Amino acid sequence: MKPASFDYVRPKTVAEASVALGRKGVNTAAIAGGQSLIPMLNLRVAFADLLVDLSRLDDLKVVTRSPDSIWIGALTTHAAIEDGKVPDLFNGLLKRVAGQISYRAVRNHGTIGGSVALADPAADWPCCLIALGATVRVVGRNGVRVQPVSEFVRGQYETTLSAGDIVMGFDVPTPSVPTRWGFSKVARKSGAFAQSIAIATALGRSGRVNVVLGAAGPKPRALRTVAEELEGGKSGDELRPAIEADLAQVAPGADDYQKRMHTATVLRAIRDMRTQ
Amino acid sequence: MTAITIDLNGVRIADDVEPRQSLADFLRERCGLTATHLGCEHGACGACTVVVDGKATRSCLSLAVMSDGRVVLTLEGLRNDQIMDILRRQFHECHALQCGFCTPGMLIMARDILQRHQSPDANTVRHELSGQICRCTGYANIVKAVVAAGKDLAAAQAHALAGALAEAEALIQAEVQARVDDQVRAQEDAPPKPGTE
Amino acid sequence: MADHPPADGWIGASLLRKEDARHLLGHGMFVADIRMPGLQDIAFVRSQMAHANVRQIVKPPEAAASVFTLADLGPIAILEAGPELAAHRHSPYPPLADGRVRYAGQTIAACMAPTRAEAEDLADRVTAELEELPAVVDCVAAMLPDSPRLFEHWPDNAFITGNVTEGDPPALQAAPVRLRRKFRMNRQATVSLECRGVLAYWDHRNDELTVHLSTQGGHVMRIAIAQSLGLPEHKVRVIAPDVGGGFGGKNRIMPEDIAVCAIAMKVGHPVRWIEDRREHLIASVHARDHTYDLTISADRDGTLLGVEGDVYIDAGAYSLWPTGSFMEASMASRNLTGPYRIRHLKLNTFTVATNKAPMGPYRGVARPGACFAIERLVDEVARELGREPFDLRRQNIVTAAELPYRTAAGMRLDTGDYVQALDTARDMIDLPAIRKRQEVGESDGRAIGVGFAFYTEQSGHGTVEWVKRKSRVVPGYESANARMLPDGSVIIHVGVQNHGQGHETTLSQIAAHELSIDPSRIAIKYGDTATAPFGFGTFASRSIVFSGGAVARASRMLIDKLKRIGAHLMQTDPANVRIEGGEVHGPSGSVGFAEIAYAANVRQEHLPAGMDPLLDVTATYEPTETGGVFAYGTHAAVVAVDPDTGTLEILDYVVTEDCGTMINPLIVDGQVQGGIAQGIGTALYEEIPYDEIGQPLATTFGDYMVPCAPEIPTVRMAHIVTPAQATEYGVKGLGEGGAIAPPAVLANAVADAFRKIGASFNETPLTPRRVSEAVARARRARDDAA
Repeated sequence: MKPASFDYVRPKTVAEASVALGRKGVNTAAIAGGQSLIPMLNLRVAFADLLVDLSRLDDLKVVTRSPDSIWIGALTTHAAIEDGKVPDLFNGLLKRVAGQISYRAVRNHGTIGGSVALADPAADWPCCLIALGATVRVVGRNGVRVQPVSEFVRGQYETTLSAGDIVMGFDVPTPSVPTRWGFSKVARKSGAFAQSIAIATALGRSGRVNVVLGAAGPKPRALRTVAEELEGGKSGDELRPAIEADLAQVAPGADDYQKRMHTATVLRAIRDMRTQ
Repeated sequence: MTAITIDLNGVRIADDVEPRQSLADFLRERCGLTATHLGCEHGACGACTVVVDGKATRSCLSLAVMSDGRVVLTLEGLRNDQIMDILRRQFHECHALQCGFCTPGMLIMARDILQRHQSPDANTVRHELSGQICRCTGYANIVKAVVAAGKDLAAAQAHALAGALAEAEALIQAEVQARVDDQVRAQEDAPPKPGTE
Repeated sequence: MADHPPADGWIGASLLRKEDARHLLGHGMFVADIRMPGLQDIAFVRSQMAHANVRQIVKPPEAAASVFTLADLGPIAILEAGPELAAHRHSPYPPLADGRVRYAGQTIAACMAPTRAEAEDLADRVTAELEELPAVVDCVAAMLPDSPRLFEHWPDNAFITGNVTEGDPPALQAAPVRLRRKFRMNRQATVSLECRGVLAYWDHRNDELTVHLSTQGGHVMRIAIAQSLGLPEHKVRVIAPDVGGGFGGKNRIMPEDIAVCAIAMKVGHPVRWIEDRREHLIASVHARDHTYDLTISADRDGTLLGVEGDVYIDAGAYSLWPTGSFMEASMASRNLTGPYRIRHLKLNTFTVATNKAPMGPYRGVARPGACFAIERLVDEVARELGREPFDLRRQNIVTAAELPYRTAAGMRLDTGDYVQALDTARDMIDLPAIRKRQEVGESDGRAIGVGFAFYTEQSGHGTVEWVKRKSRVVPGYESANARMLPDGSVIIHVGVQNHGQGHETTLSQIAAHELSIDPSRIAIKYGDTATAPFGFGTFASRSIVFSGGAVARASRMLIDKLKRIGAHLMQTDPANVRIEGGEVHGPSGSVGFAEIAYAANVRQEHLPAGMDPLLDVTATYEPTETGGVFAYGTHAAVVAVDPDTGTLEILDYVVTEDCGTMINPLIVDGQVQGGIAQGIGTALYEEIPYDEIGQPLATTFGDYMVPCAPEIPTVRMAHIVTPAQATEYGVKGLGEGGAIAPPAVLANAVADAFRKIGASFNETPLTPRRVSEAVARARRARDDAA
């Protein structure tokens, strides 16, 4: 189980990296932590002519706080977030999400940018960042663009990234009142890919509610009806019709078991949010 | 081929490697360090776990070229490590290994856990060991060994601290005594003050 | 874990393991760790299709000499595998495809290069033109007349069929309670953490083929290698270095082993193949895969009467040498009465060829499936009668007074107290407290259930039993060669293989006990056909019984000679001396082993007249009861289940077990806990499904779930010690027992959690989906009925 041959460059700047990744006629791949890409290369289910190592680009490692948002550089590792090296202005949600991704040795290298750029439907960060209303900043040959993560992720392993594009990081708007949240996940075993992920967030006691479901369709999606019903004061089993309506939209292919499971994770996330 | 330089178990290694070579294969095939085992080569079993720049790392999910300039430690390089000493003893006493294939990775991960958690309880250890497959032991004795090692380490650190304090106190006392002695000597050496006799 | 009282002497001492130090320092030496000048790697081209004719294999012209097809390996004898029964059909399994491939993953060509990566590059450039044939993937449908065939010359797809009829099955038709249930224990891999591996080269100095093989039994593998390649056995040396787990999966000769040896004969340098995890999951030994369609009969008072039905074993495409998988069906059917007084049996068994990887042995062989079926049936009868399942077990189980007891299927359950094992488990798990808790209900919406299961573990079975099974190799004895060196230290070579079981420790304890010296003065050696006496290796929970017995006998033979020499040196009669503390004591004084051993080896003029020099003896051993001794135990577990997600948490797991006398209780506990972890894997996590065209769907650990520390509870254990009568010290084998009962106990616990709605959990692994769907089905049935 060894990868096919590839070339390797380690650019010193983001601009250099963008040029390398955008080379015409060359099958390039960006590597950051490599924790998803290398297994696929080892299994020879993914191939590249040229690996562009982004892992030492300091510009992608910046974490800063502004009055109304926090900037998380793309190379921030899951472990750094788990260990609280990113100011968690969301009442511990980021730490919680980070701490149960895969395994610690993988979290030490896997990055938030890599996770979102890969756009695995079962991944945690796209779900979480969509729930928090984050935007992604992408630099490429056409300059810089800023896009909501919910639009950046287009589908299963599909994003708006094009050749030469590099994810710089994420701007996550910080709430003016404390966030309450619930996070629920079903996986076959600890650290395994999720079968269902639900994240519910609410601003303060009566503020705006967001419920996002991942691993159910090609990409994580907000459950709008559920959110409205929640804002309207419904709770517990009263939400089931709304969940069913939303599932028809976001997970149209779900069978009976998947519907039950997703409903359960959504209800649990909401319950946990409410008890915070 | 790409030139790399790695600080490996305290030794500077310079070599040319194929970019596709994993850190694990570099350690095993080029450097002859076979404590690092390969159990799955896709990051799910943990047998190949080593330390890169102080972080537990799957060497099968790491390319040798990406380790250029890094500090790498394998089990071979932790022979005289205090935490590893304690872990080895507890693994032995708790019967925390059977076939031994997972053991090097398990020890590296256990050391990482003890560096991040002061005297962790069994639940913490279980959670943190997730991703390290042992097919023989059923984990119970591994968890027990890591918990016990955590206690030993805390005790050793407390002992070391107590020792350092005792040493400091001894130094201070010695200094105080020395000053007293000096004063006494000074008084003895000093010419009698007029009028004291 | 259980606490053990301080042992008196070496038998029963929890001696820390001699094996640990090298592994703790990273100095273990596994096949992939062996470094040889000029070593090249092999990667295999494998079939992408489940069933196909191989039309053509096209080698890249520039590297044709490094690509080997079957024709390039030279004359290879294809060994007939399976029992020596005319009715068992031969399924010739060549090391590389011979024109037909019968499962996805079968080896087609071998590619050699200086590194594995380059060998894989080469394999990618080889084109195998395959003509797809219809695949046989369902072992029940495979027996229908219109099913495609794997082997044209067979009349159907069965390797072998059989039936067991005992008692008076027709009388069961009138039984007041008759329940028919279907059970499935799905296919899985064995997953030693070290995959398989083989490194071979022609050793010119010794003029022999040297084969480093990750195996459970080198001597038996040597027979196969020599026969396949047409070499005399003295020209083949098999060395098993450190072996990173086997569990049955390294106890068959595999096509890659033969291919690598054949290539080593053709090239002038060492070659190796190190199995990777994907290869392990698709093309190593597969296991379990039983389907049962059974009817149990009982009286209204709960007396279990009989079991009837069909047992299907999905054995994959080929029989693996030596014994194939035929024992699955016979062992499953013979264990289907469990430990109960069930006197009527009528079972039809089908061992079926399908387009899947060949089946081999895996810890527990057949008994996890049989235990799952009978223990689930007991619970189903209890539910039908409104009885507490525990009570029904206790009512029907064989009592201590009835032992030895011959079951309907002819197994002689020897010693123990099964009722005590049940009762102890019930008390440990606190059944009444759980029943109370269930009445209250859980605040988090989960359902709590408790389950019990009883197992027996036949071990140490000897010649008559294996001959009865028509085994091609009859592992009815083990051997030990004991040598006392001039300084009085001892080396004992044994024919079993240690791959985690701690033989270096336990066998040295036995020798230390017999020789009255410290275990540190005794080295146990194994794993090299050049030095070990012939033996069969480690499997079937046999090592402590057989090898332990052989070591005891060899030690006693040494003692006998030590006494005679010691008596001579003290000028007394051997009848007047005794052994203590590494010395021979006479009426007036003593002489140490070192002095005696020095005389025996180096200063033979001090020996009694006419005595041969050396302290070098070889013993074999077979227990007096050749049908085996039965370890047994009760497992009990409490689970919490979320009916919507189907996720399950084990809240408590207890076991009471009796493996007779324990040589090293620390190691016994380790085997029990480790076996249970694998059993939990079977019960809840591990599965290799195939799709309708025969493609395996779990090819990495991303899809194949191996439980980790958070998934496996620390088991609470109690030991009952009833020494066996037929073995040295009263030991019984215990390596497999832990793995047998977990599927049954966990399925019973989940069923208990939902017993009010009558949900059934009859297929492993109990994945969240299967659990949730079973609950949903039962709820629908209840609602429909209402």
